[in-house]
Amino acid sequence: MTPGNVPIPRPAPHIAESPNIKLTSRSTYLKERFLRYLFAAAALVAVLGVLLIFFFVGIRGWPIFQKVGVWDFLTGMVWAPTATPPQYGIFPMLFGSFVVMAGALVLGAPLAIGTAIFLSEIASPKVRSVVRPAVELLAGVPSVVFGFFGLLVLRPFLAAGSGTLGLGLMAGWLILAIMVVPTIATLTEDALDSVSGGVREASYAMGATTWQTIYKVLVPSARVGIIDAIILGMGRAIGETMAVLMVIGNAPVIPKGLFAPFSTITTQIVIDMSYATGDHRTALFGMAIVLFAISMLFVAAVRLVSRLFGAED
Amino acid sequence: MAVVLCASLLATALSGCATSGPSQRLTVTGSTTILPIAELSAEMFDAAHPGVKVLVSGVGSSAGIESVTSGSSDIGTSSRELKGDELKAGLVDSAIAYDAIAVIVNPDNPVKDLSTAQVRGIFTGKIRDWSEVGGPSMPILLVNRDAASGTREAFDKIVLKGATFDPTAAVLPGTGQVRAVVAQAKGSVGYISLGFVTDQVKAVSIDGVAPSPSTVKDGTYPVRRTLHFFTRGQPKGLARQYVDYVLSQVIQKDVIGKAGFTPIGSGK
Repeated sequence: MTPGNVPIPRPAPHIAESPNIKLTSRSTYLKERFLRYLFAAAALVAVLGVLLIFFFVGIRGWPIFQKVGVWDFLTGMVWAPTATPPQYGIFPMLFGSFVVMAGALVLGAPLAIGTAIFLSEIASPKVRSVVRPAVELLAGVPSVVFGFFGLLVLRPFLAAGSGTLGLGLMAGWLILAIMVVPTIATLTEDALDSVSGGVREASYAMGATTWQTIYKVLVPSARVGIIDAIILGMGRAIGETMAVLMVIGNAPVIPKGLFAPFSTITTQIVIDMSYATGDHRTALFGMAIVLFAISMLFVAAVRLVSRLFGAED
Repeated sequence: MAVVLCASLLATALSGCATSGPSQRLTVTGSTTILPIAELSAEMFDAAHPGVKVLVSGVGSSAGIESVTSGSSDIGTSSRELKGDELKAGLVDSAIAYDAIAVIVNPDNPVKDLSTAQVRGIFTGKIRDWSEVGGPSMPILLVNRDAASGTREAFDKIVLKGATFDPTAAVLPGTGQVRAVVAQAKGSVGYISLGFVTDQVKAVSIDGVAPSPSTVKDGTYPVRRTLHFFTRGQPKGLARQYVDYVLSQVIQKDVIGKAGFTPIGSGK
């Protein structure tokens, strides 16, 4: 995915059948065959999983679009599934999902990219050997632990400082900002590392300082990788559920401030699924379809960025 | 659940015969709120009475009342009172526990007493500042439970009486979270089962009555509901033994008290 790389030549996949190579025995031949099918099956399971989930969610959720209308479902301002008559408007949650994601990236992406630059360009091997595992460990912390930390440690501070419950956008932003750091930092570091050493040496040879090399040469060279990292961070942020659920207050409305309860698509599905029946349940599947569409957009964006900006290098 | 239901129907059908099987059966059907109490009691009752099997299922209060009225179960459990035609069905009520809900505020909040109407106004979003109910001038921060919560359902029925909760209220999926949040935010108000109230929060009086085991028991504290066992006529035989067992100290203290309900305390 990163530009400026000479692709490493790989043996062609059909090499086992190439006439140049004589397999020593039938058992070796069978073993090779078996392994090929095994790996193909492994890949197939992943594809099958996505397809199954996609069709199941689609079939279960589609009726709500016919009943409410796609536009009214997406732009409706009132989520009152148990009222009479019920109202299924997911705009407040859609708004919540995007705003909490955007804020988390504004806070988290610079932090993550800074971490990556530090690890890749500045840190001594000794420091790196401490910081990198710490960042990787952050990725391994279960999201419910982030949520628990947010609810019991971070939120009381926000509550005291703002005179509110402390639940809301600010709490969501801060927790999510920390959670996207490992995703973005690891991928950005990979992107920086894959800029060939010659580019770096050329820059220093021209008399550029470390800082000049970083922001004039390295970051522009790795920009496709960095943009990909940020988009994948967006996916992480918008899909995150448990940690967010515990700190945002889960009121299905557009928040009236940074410290007012609100809800996101993922958290609303979790809050409602334990008791939803009938159209309400269908509406939750409808929300899952919307989430699916958003993730597909992100994946498409990554591909588009690579193609548009990757080509010119 | 279907299996239990089939088994219970079968058991009732066979209960006419004196020797229908190796064991005596008692079917208890109804409220899901009461399900944990009824199930634990049934397990302990079975253990204490060899050859007896108590079959418990949770299908909802209305279905429980319907089932005992029609004779398909021996005991119908309900977390609500009888209404309409059910009152004429000749059911006898054995109250087994109370589920009292305390309205909690931050300990620093000077408000000590609210009327039911004020609590309704607060949770529907009509009253938005503590100064409107005799407190200092600070915004009221609402903490609600998720819609799947039984506590919310009861609070909705007893206090809101059909009005809708303010949709801007924070929705938290657990009693512990409600308590933790109210304990740390000055203007906050929430509601939890009385059994879960600790020093971290302050339970306010409702209509001048502070929630306590005694005010819950004598009915002066208004935000409570009674959990019932209904039988057709006075409970007899095995049903009598089971009802008495649930009312005994063992179940009242160890099962009902620990489950967050208020024991009825008539240790017969």
